[in-house]
Amino acid sequence: MPGDSPLVGGRPLPEVVRRIIADVLVVALEEVQPGKGLVRDLGAESIDFMDLVFRLEDALECQIPFPRWQRFIEATLEGQDLAVAITPEVVQLFAERELAGA
Amino acid sequence: MSERVAVTGAGVVTPIGAGYESFRDGLRSGRSGVGRIRAFDCAGLSTQIAAEVDHRQGDLSAWVEPRTSAKLMSRAAMFAAAAAAMARRQALLGRDGVDPRRLGVVVGAGGMGPTDLDLLATQAQAAIDAAREVGTGRWDVPTFARLFTERTNPIATLRGLPNLAAAQLAIQHDARGPNATITTACCAGTQAIGEGLRLIQRGDADVVLAGGTDAAVNPVAVLGFSLLGTLSRCNAEPGRASRPFDRQRDGFVIGEGAGFVVLERESFAQARGAPVLAELAGYGVTCDAYRITDERPDAAEAAHAISLGLRDAEMEPRDLGYINAHGTGTRMNDITETRAIRLSLGAHAADVPVSSTKSMIGHLLAAAGAVELAATLIALTEGFLPPTINLEDPDEECDLDYVPNVARAASPTAALSTSFGFGGQNACLVIRRW
Repeated sequence: MPGDSPLVGGRPLPEVVRRIIADVLVVALEEVQPGKGLVRDLGAESIDFMDLVFRLEDALECQIPFPRWQRFIEATLEGQDLAVAITPEVVQLFAERELAGA
Repeated sequence: MSERVAVTGAGVVTPIGAGYESFRDGLRSGRSGVGRIRAFDCAGLSTQIAAEVDHRQGDLSAWVEPRTSAKLMSRAAMFAAAAAAMARRQALLGRDGVDPRRLGVVVGAGGMGPTDLDLLATQAQAAIDAAREVGTGRWDVPTFARLFTERTNPIATLRGLPNLAAAQLAIQHDARGPNATITTACCAGTQAIGEGLRLIQRGDADVVLAGGTDAAVNPVAVLGFSLLGTLSRCNAEPGRASRPFDRQRDGFVIGEGAGFVVLERESFAQARGAPVLAELAGYGVTCDAYRITDERPDAAEAAHAISLGLRDAEMEPRDLGYINAHGTGTRMNDITETRAIRLSLGAHAADVPVSSTKSMIGHLLAAAGAVELAATLIALTEGFLPPTINLEDPDEECDLDYVPNVARAASPTAALSTSFGFGGQNACLVIRRW
């Protein structure tokens, strides 16, 4: 439920994250669906994740050193194929933690 | 006898039009693309004019593939992507038309100043805020570093790589053959196409995308060239500012854009039934080895470059029916170039029409030679010679036929394009009807 999500700039976080992913990967918003692999399905390359984290910083109004994203991915998706495992839900989880000051 | 090299496509992004037809029509009408600078607030600058590429030239990002590439591109790389894609389309060279390993890329690139206005603004603001925060009013690197790191999207820094345009072209066109970037300033576009010719002649590629690109309408480049005293200050009448070979000239006008051609080995082009615009017949290159911004007054090495180009094409001066001059509109260039043409062509110099398309599009720096080769191709194939506009009061030291003010009907069978760079590099290309 959107009502359960924290608001960022007056909009629910999932919506903000989805918009950022679409902008970074230059895809239509409708293509950013749960379970989609950012690399395999949406064409992300390594530089796009730097862009993604920078835009999250802007949206969440906080500083996010890129290595923190890398550590989060290693810890959360250990042993998985990152081409499919990094999904919009994973990005959202990261954003929630950053917002909570993790 | 070695195989000839065909030019099968030409694409341009220029201040008077993007695309071959639009550029051709602009050249024919003698239109100026110079205006008051729109890219940034130029109030107070000694030069407030430039020849910019604007929205009237269409959405250039539509030419970029893959779609995510656009955000990584500098303005110059975007121009290059558009011009190269246009050239390939004209050449009717489809995705599977060439073995990727036999497709090369050579790009003339890299100008003065930053490549990205947004990045420059971020840097400048971080420096200002750092000085304010430290309170000393001085350049404080640690504070600047922190602010810059906080505010800069990492991908923006990539746009400054000089080889970025060549890399993006390789990705877009799956060009896995030789890939080079030439950074000889105002000579770069011409040299890139010349070196592309050599790649094919050496057997290193069947097809080469070659050209030049530049986007130097930014405060640092405008101020830099102003400090060097090379820019026109004719702010009141932008359309009349670029006036090569005219006594009232007062410097060049910075332009921006890109030009690309598709070069092909003769048998390769014939085997696929490619449309051929012309033969790229010769290339000559030398260096003054004299001074950074002064040309050799006797024009000996500039003249030698022209002689080498003609010899490479196995042509005599009398074979030339048109010269597209470097023609910047600085006193030194115009006089030295006139001398170089006289020296290399001898008695025939008086009979060859010479024009400077910079009078219309300004000086595109690293892209200049490539766009001007496209103008030379148009002169060879479209039945008219582009004029030198604003030539109202000819300098008596410039005594050639400069095709003043209006396009002239003519059908030359061979033509030459020259470029000379800060640093002393001289280059020319010779094209001939197929």
